[in-house]
Amino acid sequence: MNTIRKENSKLQGKDLVHIGIFTAIYFVVVFAVAMLGYIPIFIPLLCVLVPIIGGIPFMLFLTKVKKFGMIMIMSIIMGILMLLTGMGYHCIYVGAISGLIAEVIYKSGNYRSSSKAIMTCGFFSIWVWGNFIPFFIDIEGYFATRKEFGQEYADALTSLMPIWMMPTLIIAAFVSGLVGGYLGKMALKKHFKKAGIA
Amino acid sequence: MQIGMMQAAKYKESYLDPRTKILLLVMLAVFVLGGTGGRQMSLFRLIFSSVPFILLLLSGKVKTCLLWSSLLIIGGLVEYALIPRTTGILNYMMVALSGMLTRFAPSIMMGMYAVSTTTVSEFVAAMERMHITEKITIPMTVMFRFFPTVREEYASIHAAMRMRGISLAGGKIIQMVEYRLIPMMTSSVKIGEELSAAALTRGLGTPIKRTNICQIGFHIQDKIIITFCLFTIGYWILGVMGVIG
Repeated sequence: MNTIRKENSKLQGKDLVHIGIFTAIYFVVVFAVAMLGYIPIFIPLLCVLVPIIGGIPFMLFLTKVKKFGMIMIMSIIMGILMLLTGMGYHCIYVGAISGLIAEVIYKSGNYRSSSKAIMTCGFFSIWVWGNFIPFFIDIEGYFATRKEFGQEYADALTSLMPIWMMPTLIIAAFVSGLVGGYLGKMALKKHFKKAGIA
Repeated sequence: MQIGMMQAAKYKESYLDPRTKILLLVMLAVFVLGGTGGRQMSLFRLIFSSVPFILLLLSGKVKTCLLWSSLLIIGGLVEYALIPRTTGILNYMMVALSGMLTRFAPSIMMGMYAVSTTTVSEFVAAMERMHITEKITIPMTVMFRFFPTVREEYASIHAAMRMRGISLAGGKIIQMVEYRLIPMMTSSVKIGEELSAAALTRGLGTPIKRTNICQIGFHIQDKIIITFCLFTIGYWILGVMGVIG
């Protein structure tokens, strides 16, 4: 079986269906967590919470990844979904780059190494940061069209987002991605292996 | 037989090409929901907000159209009539309510229109014409097919866990994640495997190029809408560059 897989390194229909299924699960989880963003203090914290909780479905996805390109496709589709849900277009290119890095790292572990899988989860999680780019580029323009959040929300968020937060948030996303990957690995051991799906 | 099939295909045909619908969906997501462009684009935002309203009416979905447009009108009325007259916390609530309604309603309407009038085959045909690779198209179609399943699974697990008293109200956050997220994922993955097997038996993943009987193409209404969208994008880019605005 293994030898057949190695020869057949092009993406097949089955792999593409797997990407679709896991992207759906991942997106639902991310969307549920992101609802917390209605409280201003949670907006920068989303960069921590989304990777941690999202790490569990992502690590399960990694057990199905055996071919080059699957992680990157998932990353780009997450970017497209963010565009369609009104978060702006920045996630598409951020996701493409972080997805590619994650892909290369997971490939270097032959799609099997579990410590490389945690690193992969960390780099993959950087796509979340794409959602924060509008805050740093033009926060006044951002709130000019989002009056429903109210002046207090805008003020609170503006004070939470000085420019030095930009690199901090990337590191936060990466580190919480590692934590999420570790949690996901534990969940794999505790539940999914038993259930026979990992 | 042949004539019957052709008639069926014609009946399915909606007023717009799937590619136009996707373009409109993106335009609404970026300019109405995402609020790109700020004040400079406010007129365009108004025009785009009214587009899904007209489309739903044209495709005969009067009920949906009336429901969502009345929500939109309530939002607008609140914005113009009540906000200047209230103060304090009540004003804050009014601002939040009207903003939500006017910003979200058009995009949700457009999404409903696009999903309900486009078949999967039409979507695939449109993506093929745009030369978008299968590697993006297949996961996207599977995903949209799969969202309702995930929601259903989550609802049943939610009901079971409530009986056991595991909810946010109990303050059991870790249990919340472990006992809800993990069963939801387990059952979704199982269903997904079946879905994948079913798709493979219907010839997904064969090396031969798939054919499609859907007739899609641009008509005069598509051309008008696309021209207007391009004009909007051009206007926005000029504004960003500082030429106008």
